[in-house]
Amino acid sequence: MSAARQVDVAIIGAGPAGLAAGAAARNEGAERVVVFERDWEPGGILQQCIHPGFGLHTFGEELTGPEYAHRYLTRVREAGVEFSLNTMVFQMDKPVLKDGRKTVTFWTMQPERGIEQIEAKSLVLAMGCRERPAGALGVAGSRPSGVYTAGTAQRFVNMEGFMPGTKVVIMGTGDIGLIMARRMLLEGAEVVGVFEIMPWVSGLRRNIAQCLDDFGIPYYLNHSVCELRGRGRLEGVGVVEVGPDRQPIPGSDKFVTCDTLLLAVGLIPENELSRMAGIAIEPITGGPIVNEWMQTSEDCVFAAGNVVVVYDLVDFVSREGERAGKYAARYAMGRLENAKREFKIVPENNVRVVSPQTLTGEDDVTVYLRVGSPVESKCRLYAEPGLFSQRLRYARPGEMNEIKLSASQLKSLASDVTRITVGLEVL
Amino acid sequence: MVIGAGISGGTIARELSRYALRVAVLERASDIPYGASRANSSMIHGGFDDKPGTQKARFCPRGNKLYKTLHEELDFKYHNCGSYVCAIGPEEEKHLTMLLSYGKTNGVPGLEIVNGEILRGREPHASREITAALWSPTASIVNNFEASLAFIDNARTNGVDLFMETEVTGLLFDGIYGLDGIGRLDGIDKSKESKNGERARIRGVSTQRGDFTARVVVNAAGVNSDLISRMAGDDSFTIQPTRGEYFIFDKSVGDMVKSFFFSCPSDKGKGVTVARTADDNLLVGPSAVAQEDRENRDTTRLGLEEIFQGAVRLVPGIPRNMAITNFAGVRANSDKEDFYIKALDRPRGFINVAGIKSPGFTSAPAIALHVVDMMKESLGDLVKFEPNPKFVPERRHIPRFSELTMEEREHLAKTDPKWGQIVCRCESVTEAQVVEAIRRGARTVAGVKTWVRPGTGRCQGGFCAPRVVEILARELGVAPIEITRHGGDSYMLTGKTKERMPSERMPSERMPSRRQS
Repeated sequence: MSAARQVDVAIIGAGPAGLAAGAAARNEGAERVVVFERDWEPGGILQQCIHPGFGLHTFGEELTGPEYAHRYLTRVREAGVEFSLNTMVFQMDKPVLKDGRKTVTFWTMQPERGIEQIEAKSLVLAMGCRERPAGALGVAGSRPSGVYTAGTAQRFVNMEGFMPGTKVVIMGTGDIGLIMARRMLLEGAEVVGVFEIMPWVSGLRRNIAQCLDDFGIPYYLNHSVCELRGRGRLEGVGVVEVGPDRQPIPGSDKFVTCDTLLLAVGLIPENELSRMAGIAIEPITGGPIVNEWMQTSEDCVFAAGNVVVVYDLVDFVSREGERAGKYAARYAMGRLENAKREFKIVPENNVRVVSPQTLTGEDDVTVYLRVGSPVESKCRLYAEPGLFSQRLRYARPGEMNEIKLSASQLKSLASDVTRITVGLEVL
Repeated sequence: MVIGAGISGGTIARELSRYALRVAVLERASDIPYGASRANSSMIHGGFDDKPGTQKARFCPRGNKLYKTLHEELDFKYHNCGSYVCAIGPEEEKHLTMLLSYGKTNGVPGLEIVNGEILRGREPHASREITAALWSPTASIVNNFEASLAFIDNARTNGVDLFMETEVTGLLFDGIYGLDGIGRLDGIDKSKESKNGERARIRGVSTQRGDFTARVVVNAAGVNSDLISRMAGDDSFTIQPTRGEYFIFDKSVGDMVKSFFFSCPSDKGKGVTVARTADDNLLVGPSAVAQEDRENRDTTRLGLEEIFQGAVRLVPGIPRNMAITNFAGVRANSDKEDFYIKALDRPRGFINVAGIKSPGFTSAPAIALHVVDMMKESLGDLVKFEPNPKFVPERRHIPRFSELTMEEREHLAKTDPKWGQIVCRCESVTEAQVVEAIRRGARTVAGVKTWVRPGTGRCQGGFCAPRVVEILARELGVAPIEITRHGGDSYMLTGKTKERMPSERMPSERMPSRRQS
């Protein structure tokens, strides 16, 4: 096997996080910046998201997924980032010390070039996330065809030009499911309804309005699809109403005829490679523990986008990708000092998801967080001790909240402060 | 002629392929294995829990020994993991003593009762409630898909013909039965027996694809074997389909146990097992629900709950949210306590290999040897058993990319770019593997999955299903909408986008009927 190919900053994944990281790494001054992408074109899942709604924060206008990807690609190409497409990273080692600094080695496979070993001075993990399948929910019944995750269906419809079904039930209120409800209807399918086990919607409110309400597609909260029926193709699903304990209410079962079930029941950061590299994973987010440099538990490995935490808006993904690329480049160039301090961000009072989880205090930072259950009244978002306080009209799990902290604020904290608590107080 | 391409039919066909015979296997499903051989615990039992003297007690330990060499010859996954029957409290411990004595009589080597502390020393996740366990070192686990396919695959290499989607609808006779010479599902009209006293002889089978002639017919039709047997006039047994439900958990929790864990059977049933599969997932199940329906492989909320509760009794820490799928299989249990393996007197040439209940998978290779011996002894005048000069005992499975060394991977990727193209991310399956699976007979998405595992991983086909559909369509030369999940009407897609405007589509419009691929 030939010698390892040397790279300054390697980026795994050419979705919005990876693209942003690549451009930022080059702009920061790193020489050999290579993005490895398993698909044959860059853009990631954006390529199949032909609906508008992307880029309001980044570009100040509403773009489709491919348009958003295209804008970024132009930036990335101008920056001089190298792409290795149709390339699967299938194995990764734990980073090792080499010449006094950590480097990371991984293996790629590409049909024409075969297997290559890559050694990178720093690495950005940007693999995104995958959809939770029906099996993970323990849905009982038969195993017919016609059960797809919303994203798989989206790929079939928007990229391959095929209809996965004609009469559709959607389980869960994740954004892709809501988008696909509208999409299937526009393509001529009948969409029977959307069933959500929680008493609240898990996607964006605007998607409920624009994808369901505007098209007269009903949705049912506190309802779950609990059974699949049909030996060949799906013939229908059993739906049940659930109580506050999320257990089925006896006698509430009903049968809904359909030939397709689309699942929009959650996204899971795709961290198989991160685990191979020995990166510490946070159980709640399912992604690597990172600081505000997007640096993981291994100095030379950075991470960004949905592989870290599932974001609600692509603009935030790009923003954090840029951050990861910038610091990964600094690390590769030997210009990232070890942090002198480490603050741990501890969520409390209904804040469930928080990212990043640690801070060095060296830079300004936006902390993203999600609440565990919705608050539909006035509330206050805070970071203690005395760092941040903001009144909100509501807080919902589907929409992320931001806490902006400045380096000067953090540097002024007493030297014995190691914890920053963030929470949401109902007023 | 062998009816059924499950583990019984497959092992018999392969054993017959040692001889210069024309052998055909008929299978009604679109992919194999399909019935009980598809959905089971993939366990190669030690052979200690069958009553001494029964056929089960005779074939199971022998089958266990055969698998030890067969997996090398036929290249299917096999792990000699050993098993524990776990007892909670003195009542259940008595059962272990009984199993130990059964095992000794049956000739099962290495059995030993260990106490709870020893068990937990070896298996840290085992429940603290377990007081003793029967250790059986020869127990093993296989990939049941691979094993079932391996026998058929090798048999085909050695000249056996496999006819898929071919359902037996009747038996053909010479001699005393029926004027039209066909045994029917609803039995044989004995009033029409011929008077010349000639012994009835099998002449072949009829199927929905036409008639096949054969001098010997082996009924290995699993859950439908009693229906086939009835066509031959033997109604001495009845299949009692018994459904068993299972959970499969993510590989990340596969190492919670090293060995196969059994509960002690109780009045509530045989109890569930917890095991690490040959592919490192965690397997939990089965339940046992007797039912009328031979086809019902549905899981149920209650059933899944029951097996999960049974599993955490043995291994308390199993995280429920790490389940990646659940499934059910139907055991071809009969109303007889034992296997029902018999060459009928009339019609001659008809052999029942039926009621192959647990430990049927383990016993199958030993049963196959026995069946061929039986044929040689009693049917030598019908078929000549001369060695097949072209018989090759070895066969290689499609290389498993995920298990190759880096050098082997590089070598393959250089020979064919398809080896460099990953189709399934979770299980690291390449396009070359999928193409080879189709070349060897996979016709459906589930068939490809059975052969080379795309879709068995934690995303359950979310990423690879569109790719597998595309490759199947390309390799089979059909449109993607012709591709099914597991045959019949389990089509994956319903049409092209924007084929018609929504206003043209009638609400009551039925799905278009489609051709079988």
